[in-house]
Amino acid sequence: MGTDSGTSLPSASRRKFIDYLLGGGILAWLGTILYPLYRYLTPPKVANVSVNQVEAGLVKDFPLNTAKIVRFGRKPVIVIRKKTGEFTALTATCTHLDCTVQYKSDAEIIWCACHNGKYDLNGNNISGPPPKPLTRMVAKVQKDKVIVMRGEEA
Amino acid sequence: MKTRIVLLGIFCLSLGYGDVVRKDACYTCHQVVDEDRDDDAKIMTHIDQDIHLQVGLSCADCHGGDPTAFDDPDAAMWDNDDFLGAIERGDQPEVCGKCHSDPQFMRQYTASVRTDEVQQYWTSQHGKLLQQGDEHVAVCTSCHGVHGILKKDDPRSPVYATHVPETCNRCHGDADTMAGYGIPTDQYQQYKTSVHGKALLENNDIGAPACNDCHGNHGAMPPNVVTIADICGTCHVNNRQLFVSSHLNYDMLNVGAKQCIECHGNHGIQPPSEELLHAGTKTFVCQSCHDLHGEKAAVLATQMDSVIDSLKRNYDQARALISTAEQKGMEVSDLYEFLDEAHRSLMQTRTSIHSFNIQTVRETAGPGMKASTNALEGARRSLQEYDRRRWSLFFMTLAASFLVVILILKIRNM
Amino acid sequence: MNKIVQWIDERISLEAARKFAKKKEVPVFYGTVWYYLGGVALFLFIIQIITGILLTFYYQPGVNTAYESVKFIVSKVEYGWLIRETHSWSANLFIFFIFLHMFTVFFAKAYRKPREMTWMTGMLLLLVALGFGFSGYLLPWNELSFFATRVGTEIAGALPVVGDFLLKFLRAGDEVSGATLTRFYGIHVAVLPLIAITLLVIHLLLVQFQGMSVPPKLEKNPALRRGAIPFFPNFVLRDLTVWLIVFNVVALLALLFPWELGLKADPLAPAPAGIRPEWYFMFMFQTLKQIPAHFLFMEGELFGILVFLVGGIIWFLVPFLDKHAGDPDAVSSKRWTRIGIIVLAFIIVMTIWGYLV
Repeated sequence: MGTDSGTSLPSASRRKFIDYLLGGGILAWLGTILYPLYRYLTPPKVANVSVNQVEAGLVKDFPLNTAKIVRFGRKPVIVIRKKTGEFTALTATCTHLDCTVQYKSDAEIIWCACHNGKYDLNGNNISGPPPKPLTRMVAKVQKDKVIVMRGEEA
Repeated sequence: MKTRIVLLGIFCLSLGYGDVVRKDACYTCHQVVDEDRDDDAKIMTHIDQDIHLQVGLSCADCHGGDPTAFDDPDAAMWDNDDFLGAIERGDQPEVCGKCHSDPQFMRQYTASVRTDEVQQYWTSQHGKLLQQGDEHVAVCTSCHGVHGILKKDDPRSPVYATHVPETCNRCHGDADTMAGYGIPTDQYQQYKTSVHGKALLENNDIGAPACNDCHGNHGAMPPNVVTIADICGTCHVNNRQLFVSSHLNYDMLNVGAKQCIECHGNHGIQPPSEELLHAGTKTFVCQSCHDLHGEKAAVLATQMDSVIDSLKRNYDQARALISTAEQKGMEVSDLYEFLDEAHRSLMQTRTSIHSFNIQTVRETAGPGMKASTNALEGARRSLQEYDRRRWSLFFMTLAASFLVVILILKIRNM
Repeated sequence: MNKIVQWIDERISLEAARKFAKKKEVPVFYGTVWYYLGGVALFLFIIQIITGILLTFYYQPGVNTAYESVKFIVSKVEYGWLIRETHSWSANLFIFFIFLHMFTVFFAKAYRKPREMTWMTGMLLLLVALGFGFSGYLLPWNELSFFATRVGTEIAGALPVVGDFLLKFLRAGDEVSGATLTRFYGIHVAVLPLIAITLLVIHLLLVQFQGMSVPPKLEKNPALRRGAIPFFPNFVLRDLTVWLIVFNVVALLALLFPWELGLKADPLAPAPAGIRPEWYFMFMFQTLKQIPAHFLFMEGELFGILVFLVGGIIWFLVPFLDKHAGDPDAVSSKRWTRIGIIVLAFIIVMTIWGYLV
């Protein structure tokens, strides 16, 4: 390869010029590499919540005989606080045509508004079109929080 | 004839000593197919699956006679005072009711069995006509079958949910049978194409209503004007609740209009679409009763339609954008939470029009609009992120290319 | 800059290193381009280490967290997708370039005396790379990787004598489970890197001390040689240029052709259609599939595995078997070249076949 000096620039100053360009190029390139790296290492705004365990809220936000729908991954889950103060969690997707069920505090049942399907608080389908029970989840109280988890079999 | 009977008697006798044969003379003898008695073949074909036989009852428990008289057909049948032979149609309800209306008796088979079938039957249109001497009407066996009756929840039974429409249609779809009653015979044809029929017969959703879910079974009776909303409301609770407290229900009952059916039809009911609300088009449902132009009905329908329409459009747009982002490989599963909520709200809004109150409809659509806007914004953000990724890689490539050129220059000038 | 160099020079004489670097030369001839392949593989390995370390900052092994945390990385962490996709792409290219490197070395007979150790460490490095691929494939805990691992470990379990132990050892039990995942994780991020780096250091030191090998043909006929360039800085600069291009290509591949995460593994679900190993295992997978259930006196699968095992050992010992590798006209040397061509053709054909079926 060796040196070729077919241009008018003196070889030494040309080399120096290229060295400058090289330094600049390296800096620019490093910038485009280090920026993503810096952003990657910056902790993301959303904490890493796994979908195997979801916080349904504070215990005090659940009066007796009420329920709340929370998201468990993509699926809705109904978290019920019974009259006795216990917590129960079930998948909230009606087994008939996939509507989201709700809690009827007056009758203490789970009810689907779409076609009047009814389930008891254990998730058993007790009246109306639903062909299957709702899937049970695990609801636990940890300190002052209600935690919902997948059932044992999963 | 005589010799034949004697021969038969001997044959029965010989069978009577076998191990495998029931100790029931009716069963044993009628099993032998005789060319003079071709009815027997029909009777015996499915007899073994009959629930009555399976719980240990004998033919004689319905037909009378003596099932222990193996050697003597006369003693078993003709000379026996209790022998009923083939049961007249008109007698059927009472014959079945002998056991089925007796709670004490029925309890030995199922603790929680109902015993009001016959009682209900006499209140039905079928029962009333039978009482008047019309023997063409449906009796117990018309629906449940005769020799080979299955439990009602046996999937082979003619009264199992998915078979009910066909069973009713055997008579109600036959113009000859129905001649003189003055009712249509196309209910089944209509039902098959309806949203309920498709759900039950094509998707096997046994939660979907068959004939008896609206008309009753033993007490079968067409719903009357005042009860239609209650019948539909068995499943469509919210629609009923909104409707019965609306001014429209009040007005309808005043003029004797048939509530739900007026707009939705009955046997051939189709999934409702927004087209029913499109004032000024053929599909506009209100015009069957209301005058068209400038009327309050048209204004209200248009207002309700536009609420649903704008929510639907928002929802569709959000869904399309999310799927675009998904196709571009972006992770958007979080957005489905909003999308699902918007969809739920859309359904509720469509239900809410049964209030015939624009304020209620708008309020119901509110959360859906918010949710679909959230979904839309999320999808846009994700698409922006997609572009940002390309730009950052573009700059990286630009810098790298520049560096490569300089490196080559450097190597050349070594 | 100069001052720093001087400062260091005053304490540890850099002169020796400089002298050594100046002395080392890279021959220039028709095959100079082959010399880049090992370097590219080295560079991809460096990318793997960096992106791998970055991934451990967010990745959580475990049945309930592995898939979720990878999803978290690609969706919630900024540029997480770039790191993960780069790691996957660079892993695949890494193995691809190792294969390329190996075959060029093979056909150039560069394994001949005195470079037997370089060949053998290289072969071990290939094995380690395959181990990296196999163990890393499972870590996202998605459907495809789960079932591919099930099949892969099953094949290991078919080995005679050690099969049962190996299967249980790999799976950490009878089934692929959460225990397998954590085990593979440990192997992937701790055991294999240690082995790989040790082997790599030996491999590189050997290359540096022995210099570049040239094909026997060139040794015999110096006219083919077009001179030489100094390793430092001339060749190093060229190396860096190639690396830079490779790096950018990897990043672009990561952007344009992301590796799909797919669905989360469900051990109870039936195996989905189209279960495939990674492409670099495809030729073995396809071969095992084609062997009849029973062959000679043993199971077909076992036979196939044994053939691969013996073949691998022969390939590993090639420097000792190809005794006249230095003589381009020797019959035995030519025979080994032909064997190499058959092996290469076999791998290519089987791989393509595997993807067509």
